[in-house]
Amino acid sequence: MVEAFRPQNLIEALYILSENECTIIAGGTDLMVQRARGFALKPDFVFPLLFIEHLSELKQIYNNSNEIHIGACVILTDIMQNEIIPEIFKEMIGKMASPPTRNMATIGGNLCNASPAGDTLPYLYAVNAKAILQNANGVRTVPIEEFITGVKKTCLQKNEILTDIIIPDKKFDVNIYKRLGQRKGMSLTKVSLLGLADISKNRIRDIRIALGSIAPTIVRSSDIERKMINKSLDEIKQISYEISNQYDKLIKPIDDARSTAKYRKKVSLNLIKHFLENL
Amino acid sequence: MKENISKSILRVDSRKKINGEAKYISDWKFDNVLYAKTIRSTVAKAKILSITLPEIPAGYYIVDKNEVPGINRMQTVVSDHPVFAENDVQYIGQPILLVVGPDREIIYSIVAKIEIQYKEQEALFTLEEAEKKSTVFTDYHYRKGEPETVFQQSGQLIEDEFTTGYQEHVYLEPQGIAAEFKEDTLFVYGSMQCPFYVKNALLDTMDLPEDKIRVVQTITGGAFGGKEEFPSLTACHVAIAAHKTRHPIMMIYDRSEDILCSTKRHPSKIRYKVAFDKNNQVLALDVDVLLNAGAYNGLSPAVLQRAIFAAGGVYNIPHINVRGRNFMTNAVPSGAYRGFGAPQTIFGIEMLFYNIAVKLGVDPLEYKMRHLLKKNDPTSTGGQIREEVKLPEIIKKVIEKSDYYNKLKTNKKYQGIGISLFLHGCGFTGKGESVINGKITLEKNKDIVTLKVSSVEMGQGAETALRKIVAQTLKIPIENVIYGEVDTGLVPDSGPTVASRTTMIVGGLLRETAMEMKTRWNETEQFEISKRYEHPKYLHWDDDNFSGDAYPVYSWGANVAEVEIDPVSYEITIKNIEAVYDVGVPIDNRALKGQMQGGIAQGIGWATIEVMESENGKLKQSNLTDYKVPTSMDIPEIHCSFVLNPYEFGPFGAKCAGELPSVGVPPAVAEAVANALNKTINHLPITPEKLMEIDNGN
Repeated sequence: MVEAFRPQNLIEALYILSENECTIIAGGTDLMVQRARGFALKPDFVFPLLFIEHLSELKQIYNNSNEIHIGACVILTDIMQNEIIPEIFKEMIGKMASPPTRNMATIGGNLCNASPAGDTLPYLYAVNAKAILQNANGVRTVPIEEFITGVKKTCLQKNEILTDIIIPDKKFDVNIYKRLGQRKGMSLTKVSLLGLADISKNRIRDIRIALGSIAPTIVRSSDIERKMINKSLDEIKQISYEISNQYDKLIKPIDDARSTAKYRKKVSLNLIKHFLENL
Repeated sequence: MKENISKSILRVDSRKKINGEAKYISDWKFDNVLYAKTIRSTVAKAKILSITLPEIPAGYYIVDKNEVPGINRMQTVVSDHPVFAENDVQYIGQPILLVVGPDREIIYSIVAKIEIQYKEQEALFTLEEAEKKSTVFTDYHYRKGEPETVFQQSGQLIEDEFTTGYQEHVYLEPQGIAAEFKEDTLFVYGSMQCPFYVKNALLDTMDLPEDKIRVVQTITGGAFGGKEEFPSLTACHVAIAAHKTRHPIMMIYDRSEDILCSTKRHPSKIRYKVAFDKNNQVLALDVDVLLNAGAYNGLSPAVLQRAIFAAGGVYNIPHINVRGRNFMTNAVPSGAYRGFGAPQTIFGIEMLFYNIAVKLGVDPLEYKMRHLLKKNDPTSTGGQIREEVKLPEIIKKVIEKSDYYNKLKTNKKYQGIGISLFLHGCGFTGKGESVINGKITLEKNKDIVTLKVSSVEMGQGAETALRKIVAQTLKIPIENVIYGEVDTGLVPDSGPTVASRTTMIVGGLLRETAMEMKTRWNETEQFEISKRYEHPKYLHWDDDNFSGDAYPVYSWGANVAEVEIDPVSYEITIKNIEAVYDVGVPIDNRALKGQMQGGIAQGIGWATIEVMESENGKLKQSNLTDYKVPTSMDIPEIHCSFVLNPYEFGPFGAKCAGELPSVGVPPAVAEAVANALNKTINHLPITPEKLMEIDNGN
């Protein structure tokens, strides 16, 4: 028999977690599908469930000295409707799943699920987001690329809860997001690209490229990005093919039921080129 | 009052379906019910060496081949599918036994402990392998004219080949069925299209007298052919379990189980050889149609017949030779899906004509129009086109509305436009309607009329259409016409709800009967009138040689599709669909447009999105995360209109409609893609992955 905990507040939740090994559940839009067993059967949970979606401490969005804090249990719809969230991130979230799912799914859930196809992740990687993790004894802050350690793997300890995601309060001059699925809505991403850039006097001042669903984790390369800084847009156009080729070895896609490795590789490179040629 | 039959009315079933009042089979409650879970083969082809059962707790049962009171075969066109596997299994998902009991959790714990030992055998998976090994279930052949002579004499030949993939129905309501004995009568309730198919299957399997079996259709949440023959199998399962346990039995599939083991559209390969006359007109056609029937033949011969009779499309080809074969593979059996074999061959013939025109450097539409069938022309089976063929008017309308020629000229690279011309034979193929000999009853009690038919409402609007036909004939309010409960104990066999036949055939009978009832309207006593369908006398059909009128009449149409392809991602966006149809007279404009939009959406899905591949007999896309059907985001605004062409034996002039949109739209989309890229499209579905390879010249 599976037990379930429904704590009153975060402190209680952390206390429960220090005493019990639990499966933490927020919106459940991933977990309930992954653990489904069959018609009219209980889902397959080994550990007691810890419900956290209702905890008000985890549902805040606010800015604080050039940073935006998003509570782990903020649902996607609320992020889309919040004024302080950058438009491009809202646009990306608006392309995830369907309205009913976005009314249940939380941003923290998308991180903890750690799927290569997680659609909030390209943005979080591109802006160097940080994850705040708490246990009963304290708090630690982890960069997003250290939080996610592999396919479906995070550095979250058994006694920890992801409480906040921190993104910089910053807008870019160029914001391009392209996401491809088997169909135009309500589908998992088979390839995605987020391109962000700041441009002044026709030169690149800042550029970020993050690719989803084409490797075990989001692909981003600060090294390649750095090479483009201070280059003129014309220079970028000239070397766009070369740059896209530098991503080639980082892109390690798979064949699966939804697409092919060949397509994912080729289209990722096309998307990079297309982004660079249209800055 | 004179009412226009096409004027839209509120659908009679919409309110209860929207507000949640409608009870689907999984909402039903039975006292002392037991649930059934099917144990299935996990291998593609094997001998069953042993089945080891755990200890079965009291109140739980195992139901297998040994419990079948009658014949262990599901009755359909070819009754070859064992109700429960005997000594061997032929596909992954084949039912072997049921675990039955009151608690689903305990059932699953028993299921987990059942061990089956197989001796695996070499299996066949693809149409190519099957053709190489000649695992032919059915081999049909017909010809018109003297194709052999023409081909021998012809110097210039073109050959072409087309392939299409699986398609899963994805009806909103998965398969569900229940059975119970009330005293010595077996009642089966479920989501289905053909209550009498189910009853006839139960007669074989249950060995009960006819009056001891009643099959009741429950509110059906979509079917599209997927609930044509398949529920006969599940009905036998629950009936045998009810017979053994003497408890009511319920069996509801979840989506993965449904996708794993229910029927799908036949994957196909179609080869053409074409001979031309001196004006480059198609003189002779040789068509070789190969369908992947899966592990059992079942309904596939009927699908194959419709496929091969549509092989010539809307064209008058003087000499035609057609061969059609169903092949056995170790895959889940293929079966009925909206269009029933015709979408495959209509895709083939339309793309063939397009490819020929492109090769000849002539306008594809003009080239197609040079070959159009017209009234009194012979059909490819040597029957006769008896109605006026309004294709010229249909084409004129569709090209005007879509601005076809202007766009063809001004489209930039990666923008494309395509046009398809198509037809669909109304009602059953060949002798089908005479064999079914459908019967209906109308009963009058004061000012209330009850129509008794075995045709089912499954979301397509049959209840509204048939009640409307009766109400308008009798000139009484539709509320005064009751649709009798579809229970084989209460209604006559008016045939299955398939083949776009319900409005035309059953509705036609109802109209005729209502007209007779009208002459007796003043009678005060309760009375009923029954009538049986009679095939028009002027039709002839030779079932041994496939010659004559394969269908009493045809519905026609033309579709224009516009697409845009993203050169970066090869993503296809369908920008517009213009559709014009001749369905005789629409019984309800809005209902008909709904049918057309739904059918077009399914056609677009099959043509561009719905990928289902089998890898060593196992479906790679086995749930709705991986198998995608279009949503409203993928479907453009669909413009749909009708050209009137009343059919004398159809109610108010109505012909067939339901399958037509699924048959028609795929080649229009494929042509548009071919046009956009200036490449040949010979395979469906056209995915971005495939387009990438085509565009790169592979």
